[in-house]
Amino acid sequence: MRVGRRRFLGAGSAALVGLSLKSDRRIEGGFVNDSFPMGHLLRDGASFPAPRRTEKLPIVIVGGGIAGLSAAWRLHKRGFRDFVLLEMNAQAGGNARWGENEVSAYPWAAHYVPVPGPKAEYVRELFEDLGVLKNGQWEERALCFAPQERLFLYGRWQEGIEPAVGLTPKDREQFQRLEDLFGKFRASGEFTIPLERGKSAKFAQLDRISFADWLEQQGCTSRLVSWYMNYACRDDYGAMARDTSAWAGIHYFSSREAEEKGPLTWPEGNGWITRRLLERVGEHVRTGQMVHHVARTPRGASVFAGDTEYQAEFVIFAAPSFLAHYLLEDFPRLADFVYSPWLTANLTLERLPDSRGAEPAWDTVFLDSPTLGYVDATHQSLRTRIDRTVWTFYWALVEGSPAANRQLLLEKDWEYWKEAILHDLEHVHSDIRQCVSRIDVMRMGHAMIRPAVGSVFSEERRRLARRDGRILFANSDLSGISIFEEAQYHGVMAAQTALHEVGGRR
Amino acid sequence: MGILLFISVLLVAACGLVYELVAGTLASYLLGDSVLQFSTVIGTYLFAMGVGSALSRYLIRGLVYRFVCIELLLGVIGGFSSAALMLAFAYTEGFGLILYALVGVMGVLVGLEIPLLMRIVRGRYEFRDVIAHVLTFDYLGALGASLLFPILLVPRLGLVRSAMLFGLINAGVALWSTFLFAGQLSRARGLRVACLAVLCLLGAGMVNAKRITAAAEDNIYADEIIFSRDTKYQHIVLTRFKDDLRLFLNSHLQFSSRDEYRYHEALVHPGLAAIPAARRVLVLGGGDGLAVREILKYPGIQSVTLVDLDPEMTGIFSSNPMLVKLNGDSLRSPRVQVINADAFPWLDSNTDSFDFIVVDFPDPTSYSLGKLYTTAFYRAAARHLSARGLMVVQSTSPMFARDSFWCIVETLKQAGLHTSPYHVYVPAFGEWGFVLAGYRAYVPPAALPAGLRFLSVAGLSALFEFPPDMGPLPMPPNQLNTQVLVRTYENDWKDITH
Repeated sequence: MRVGRRRFLGAGSAALVGLSLKSDRRIEGGFVNDSFPMGHLLRDGASFPAPRRTEKLPIVIVGGGIAGLSAAWRLHKRGFRDFVLLEMNAQAGGNARWGENEVSAYPWAAHYVPVPGPKAEYVRELFEDLGVLKNGQWEERALCFAPQERLFLYGRWQEGIEPAVGLTPKDREQFQRLEDLFGKFRASGEFTIPLERGKSAKFAQLDRISFADWLEQQGCTSRLVSWYMNYACRDDYGAMARDTSAWAGIHYFSSREAEEKGPLTWPEGNGWITRRLLERVGEHVRTGQMVHHVARTPRGASVFAGDTEYQAEFVIFAAPSFLAHYLLEDFPRLADFVYSPWLTANLTLERLPDSRGAEPAWDTVFLDSPTLGYVDATHQSLRTRIDRTVWTFYWALVEGSPAANRQLLLEKDWEYWKEAILHDLEHVHSDIRQCVSRIDVMRMGHAMIRPAVGSVFSEERRRLARRDGRILFANSDLSGISIFEEAQYHGVMAAQTALHEVGGRR
Repeated sequence: MGILLFISVLLVAACGLVYELVAGTLASYLLGDSVLQFSTVIGTYLFAMGVGSALSRYLIRGLVYRFVCIELLLGVIGGFSSAALMLAFAYTEGFGLILYALVGVMGVLVGLEIPLLMRIVRGRYEFRDVIAHVLTFDYLGALGASLLFPILLVPRLGLVRSAMLFGLINAGVALWSTFLFAGQLSRARGLRVACLAVLCLLGAGMVNAKRITAAAEDNIYADEIIFSRDTKYQHIVLTRFKDDLRLFLNSHLQFSSRDEYRYHEALVHPGLAAIPAARRVLVLGGGDGLAVREILKYPGIQSVTLVDLDPEMTGIFSSNPMLVKLNGDSLRSPRVQVINADAFPWLDSNTDSFDFIVVDFPDPTSYSLGKLYTTAFYRAAARHLSARGLMVVQSTSPMFARDSFWCIVETLKQAGLHTSPYHVYVPAFGEWGFVLAGYRAYVPPAALPAGLRFLSVAGLSALFEFPPDMGPLPMPPNQLNTQVLVRTYENDWKDITH
């Protein structure tokens, strides 16, 4: 009866005068892939089961992100099969994890790899293996389709993210000056990917000041220049320019040639690479295996996960390095390793919202938004007609300390983040609430290493990168910046060292 | 007596408002700018009502008689106002004049009604009651009409019949008044005959409303629209003017039946006639079945696979008698298989090989359509091409979009294919371009199917000649990550239209 009356009211009288409430779509969703409960067990010194089984293996990889998977790839490619990879989460991939629903596959974090330069030889080798690079040609379907990036500013769209609309002569002059400066740094050969291939102490003094201070010294502090520089730091480092080492800020702009081809990307982002790697090394990968202790032994190290003790000769520690403090005895807390907290969300859209006349692009950014905008998972679709899609929404929590933001991530419920995300999108897509049917939110307290002031050239980092007996660190945080190429580089290097040692002693 | 009287006030008020809404709506439909049209129509109407009210003081005797006459006049004028306005727009230059004249006359008559009625009934009630009751029902009638108009009348009856219906009500009130106020009326019989005559006239109008509307619409749209539908994928409009059928997709002309044979003969035969052993053909796009009609002229063709995105498109071209006549019922041929799918993913998911592939997509007006003109797409299509096979690509106009045309040629070359560009003149489009592509160099055919209206073997070589103003230009290939063609195409047509 009540329904009947409501229906009557809805369809009849209200519609009569056009006053029926615009009904928003019911939005499902929740938090997904939470990994902090496991991390907090370690932090809080919970007790774990005593080992009931032992396995003897020459090499054990701890951590199934890109560093760990790359180590596995290298071992496997060299014909070495006697190893396992232990991953805490139910799904391998780390920041290159992906999800999939009936609409599309989509990334959970990293969603592209820039076309690698000549120094990133292992990345090139990987892409040759995966068929993305053939006879020096990049596979067209893996290159980001046009139109790629767009920025919404002053009520309109522009192509590209560097502001090009409404610039004052001062803005122009500062952008130009920075471009010249970055060009010179690029030409110095110091700012390379991987970092190891160029970095020397030559510009180490730049690591002692913040990027914001350096920009101020150069007199490049106009509003739009600051916005763009901060956007770059938020996007790659999860930090504001004032919390970023100037060396790292310059590296962002000076490490790559202006690349017309655009990045390599896939619907599931770097999850595509994870999938291909798992196709090759998946039989060695054990997911849901949280390592709770690593002990040095006379002939190597023992890795304890669940009720199993893995007796290894070498451990490739590809998990974030800060965990070593909780896993290894007498391992100090790392002071120079700051991690940025992030939030990503995947939004399922039942139809495309109003975009003020623009055709969809791959990456959409809003000027002056605290978030990083969103990436469209169906952008790489070959279809001509897209009705439903998935957007991956990125938000590095940069205001305030990482610890306070981690607390925020824990305290606020899903409803809070859902509203915050919709509110951000609503500025540009006014009907977004009528389009979204699902928002899944992933909270990452330690999403990526932050190249904080003084951290890139820190002694602590240098020590860790050197071999620590039988435990080889391999996470991208060794470089101080969290990008695919660095993770892959350290994974491959650790695998090569381990192979050399294992092979040499047999 | 009281309530009946006031119901007639209500009806009269409703009629007055409906005529006003009809005039305002029609003016908005036909002239656009609804704010301006409604404002001026309402203003004129209200002003004329004021004039009517002012004039009412000059009517002194025979008030009931005059009231009935006014109702009849209003019934006729208001009832036919909508039809008259539509015809005026379709056949005269003076729509505005006729509109405001009609609105003025109706306003004056409506303005006379209420003062007259009040004076007719004033002897029966207290003055304050007359004012209160008459105005109450007047406004109630207006409310009723204004709600009925958009919800029931326009959607169910349309503008022409809505006006006529209320004309009938006006005339009905007139007839009824001759009984209601019989005591104040001397020549009732004559009036009743007139009322019946008006009722019959309007009734006949109601019956023939469709014909009136059709006559007006025929002239409003130069071509008769015989089909118009928003499908999931596009807006399909089919028009007919005399013997010319035209198909528009998203307002872009796809063909005119008068000269489409030029386009489709040129699309199919230079390529297909050059592959004597052709058995299997793939058509991408081309849901109109016209290319398939040409392909079926080859008895050697065993199967034609047509992949078109829009099931409604292939649906009407399989069922509408006029269209089936045009495409020779090609889509229902036992040799033809129609698949409704997006072409690029379909190519990736299918492994069949074809001797001839027709790529007949809309021009690259958007990034999503631009994907179908990339090296990646042509590589995917070429994987389905047999060793001696050929692919022909609709490549926009080398005259109006010269950069775009040569960009498509370059894209096919970069996909690793030999290319042979050619062009034809299609009156509805102008100079139009195609590119033949294959793993081997193209050799023109020595014979063509019988009965072609445009192509001849002797004339073939001329198609491959490009005069200097359409000649080759160095262009980059179109790739998924650059989509240079979409920008090029936009610039090409911008240059033409400026």
